[in-house]
Amino acid sequence: MMGWGGAGTLLAGCDMPSTVTLEEGREEVISYLSPEEYVIPGVGVWYASTCTQCAAGCGIHGRVREGRVLKLEGNPVSPVNKGKLCQMGQAGVQGHYNPDRITTPLLRSGGSLSPVSWEKAEQVLAEKLGGVKGDRFAWFTGSISGHQLSLVSSHLDAMGSTNHFVHEVVNNSVAQSVYADMFGDDAPRLRIDKAKMVLSFGADFMGASESPLLYSGDYSRFRTAETRGLLVQVEPKMSLTGGSADLWMPIRPGTEGVLALGIANLLLNKLKMSDAGIPADVREMINKYDVTSVARITGVAGHRIQRVAALLQERSPSLVLAGATVEGHTHGYASTAAVMMINHILGNVGKTIEPGARVPFPQLAAKRGGTADLAAFAEAAKGQQLDVVIFHGSNPAYTAPASLGLDDGLANIGFKVAIAQFPDETAMAADLVLPVASYLEDWGTLAPAFLGGEAALQVQQPLMEKLHAETRGFGDIVLALLKQRKAADFDKFEDYYGYLRNAFAALPASVKGGADSDEAFWNGALQAGVVMLPADTAPLRSTVVAFSEPREADDAAGGLMLIPSPRMGLWDGRHANLPWLQEAPDQISKVVWDSWAEIHPETAQKNGISQGDLISVRSAHGEIRTRAVLLKSVHRDVVAVPLGQGHEVYGRYAEGIGANPLKIIDPARDAKTGELAMYATRVSIKHVAGPEQFGLVKAGGSDTQAGRKLVVTVSAKQLRRTEGA
Amino acid sequence: MAVNKRIPARNRRRRVGLAWVLGLVACLLAAPMAMAAKYDVVAPGGSHDGDDVEQPIEFPHNVHVKDNDINCMYCHTYARRSTVAGIPPTSKCMGCHKMVATDKPRIKALTEYWEKKESPPWKKVSDLPDFVHFTHEKHLKTLLFDREFPVEDVKEVCALCHGDVENMTVAKKVKPLNMGWCVNCHIENKELGAPGDCWKCHK
Repeated sequence: MMGWGGAGTLLAGCDMPSTVTLEEGREEVISYLSPEEYVIPGVGVWYASTCTQCAAGCGIHGRVREGRVLKLEGNPVSPVNKGKLCQMGQAGVQGHYNPDRITTPLLRSGGSLSPVSWEKAEQVLAEKLGGVKGDRFAWFTGSISGHQLSLVSSHLDAMGSTNHFVHEVVNNSVAQSVYADMFGDDAPRLRIDKAKMVLSFGADFMGASESPLLYSGDYSRFRTAETRGLLVQVEPKMSLTGGSADLWMPIRPGTEGVLALGIANLLLNKLKMSDAGIPADVREMINKYDVTSVARITGVAGHRIQRVAALLQERSPSLVLAGATVEGHTHGYASTAAVMMINHILGNVGKTIEPGARVPFPQLAAKRGGTADLAAFAEAAKGQQLDVVIFHGSNPAYTAPASLGLDDGLANIGFKVAIAQFPDETAMAADLVLPVASYLEDWGTLAPAFLGGEAALQVQQPLMEKLHAETRGFGDIVLALLKQRKAADFDKFEDYYGYLRNAFAALPASVKGGADSDEAFWNGALQAGVVMLPADTAPLRSTVVAFSEPREADDAAGGLMLIPSPRMGLWDGRHANLPWLQEAPDQISKVVWDSWAEIHPETAQKNGISQGDLISVRSAHGEIRTRAVLLKSVHRDVVAVPLGQGHEVYGRYAEGIGANPLKIIDPARDAKTGELAMYATRVSIKHVAGPEQFGLVKAGGSDTQAGRKLVVTVSAKQLRRTEGA
Repeated sequence: MAVNKRIPARNRRRRVGLAWVLGLVACLLAAPMAMAAKYDVVAPGGSHDGDDVEQPIEFPHNVHVKDNDINCMYCHTYARRSTVAGIPPTSKCMGCHKMVATDKPRIKALTEYWEKKESPPWKKVSDLPDFVHFTHEKHLKTLLFDREFPVEDVKEVCALCHGDVENMTVAKKVKPLNMGWCVNCHIENKELGAPGDCWKCHK
């Protein structure tokens, strides 16, 4: 009789799927040559490092088995994430093992990129860098910090250039300048955990924010405190954070500043709080906005505004936050300032807004990106002011709105170099692509901008050998560039590892604590994954700056506003090539592997659109097509299209899926900071085609319980009556 | 790159010392009955006529186990500590074969690999599907250490699943190692604590 082994062999012969792993003598099992004594095949060892999936800089532990990193978790001693790790961090291994990684240097010849040796790549690069002068050379990066930033800055110095463009789509640049102007600190520590109530104007602090896990940790303490914290969220489109709110209120986009003035009006005029420190013209502006007019402008019911104002006075200390939907308008600075003014009136500064912990070494402190640099870069490129640009950690060819004309701009740059891990839009438009190691194969340090009250340097170490022999670490690539220019200063470092060892040895004794030797300090840093630093803090002040009227002149003009919404997951599009994150349903709409447009059912009906229809979303600068998802969690005046999809190139998992809403936004900018007004584009929608089977794949079928009492609820009125609350 | 969390040298010395003493005592006690130890757990019936596997070096298990009486766990040292028994590191082979039988062609081939700083590309003989969680560590704990069966006779425990390896040259799969076969043994040896839950193996 034929055994299973025989059957397997037979099937394999017919070219059918077979159980190959069970057949003897097919797979190799290669032993270690001479292992470290603590290595046991089949038993994982955990090493500390740092996540670079977003700019937050969370500490991670990676499980390594048989020389392969298999699983990532949060590092409990990291002051950023305290042992937690988000879905983007978890999916880090899929970027590392991604089948679409760039594995050799690529050089453009005859219109297309073809593989070349490192020698050739270095020779061409040296030639091009040798022929460029001063500010005609530039670096274009995402948010960057630590010793990588220090090297990039040294390289710019060596090149005689001051052009370092730092770009992030998910940013809080406008709020940063408001914080700096009003509190004297551009990165204050927002103590959600100390507040009894948080009023958030579109701040998705647990989702797409500058440090999602830091704030999620704060939030869990806020909710489990003796007096359970109360979260009120006001935003035009429900975010992940908004989904957790006790009270969620949709607001007409761009009118958040008006609502803030209305609340200030109630606090000062009705609830008789002090108006000390408020400039006279701002005080006058506040008086203009009584409840009735604010309700009319914002679309938020008057009684709700009154209730929120009363709660703020009652639940002290509170915390009022402003997020991207407030910042992203031409009057973004004014709106954000109006929101922050409520903190001043309520006396929250010093209680729930504390001084931020700065890294005491300014050359390592994070350079945080925004969109002003993207616009400035597009201008410089279009104006033929740049000859050689090196890109790393940012994909402007994908994130730049078409209206900025970056495509033409890029064509004007003489020689574009991309230090890239994946064939994204920017890398594929470059003239030279240098393959970079993944963050799980590379050395580095990160100085997170937001920390839990303590300053720290996060340490990044390789968790395994490089998968692809021809890739090089980012630090190694920049160090090699520096050796060409400043041999005297940098030739003494054999590689970036050597540079870091030297830098760590040079840290002051106050940082090294009681370490016996440099070796012991270094090993301790690698083991912990983080080096605590004496924080550089300065006391805050609580002032109110003068700001203009936080509304557009034509905010009654009507029409729909486009919300290009970022989310925890695909983020600004950088994670579209990670299948786990494509497969993870959107937190609100539950859609997977696609783009969609969130529309309020009433708006949809008015435009003759039903669930799953293919629609056109058109602005003055272009059109995208995607399928409609009808949800009550968006304002009636809004079409929300998530960021992340619509890649032209970016590997097999990202290409050809969905649409990129960033492409059609207006080039309007915030009047004060020059940041792009990302949430101020007016669009029209039109039905194109009806729903298709599998046109839109959603996890979870229905938004209603259809009377099945899956979640049992009780009205507030009944609760007060029966529970005596 | 990695921090070696070593056992402090002092403790290691003490453990090694203890092992020597215990080993000596065990030898003295066990000497008269060393030949008599017979394992009483019986492997379930069923056999498998595995393929002859061509290995990069024709490794003679019989020479090592039968002729020279080397314990299975001397080379497959991870069996008691891990899910896998492990192929010995090449450094372990060379530990003896720098001196022993250096004139034999197979040892010359091994030395060539060692000098190239490569391990021979051994082929897998016994394997289970990836959806089966099998661990050597737990089986040795239950079948060997907990029952205080003499460690020097561990080959009888190994033979339950791997057959008469001491009489093989290159190892060959001679037991079915399929689910029915595993389950039969787990049913028969319930009193030894062999679990019957699906999720014990299919986690």
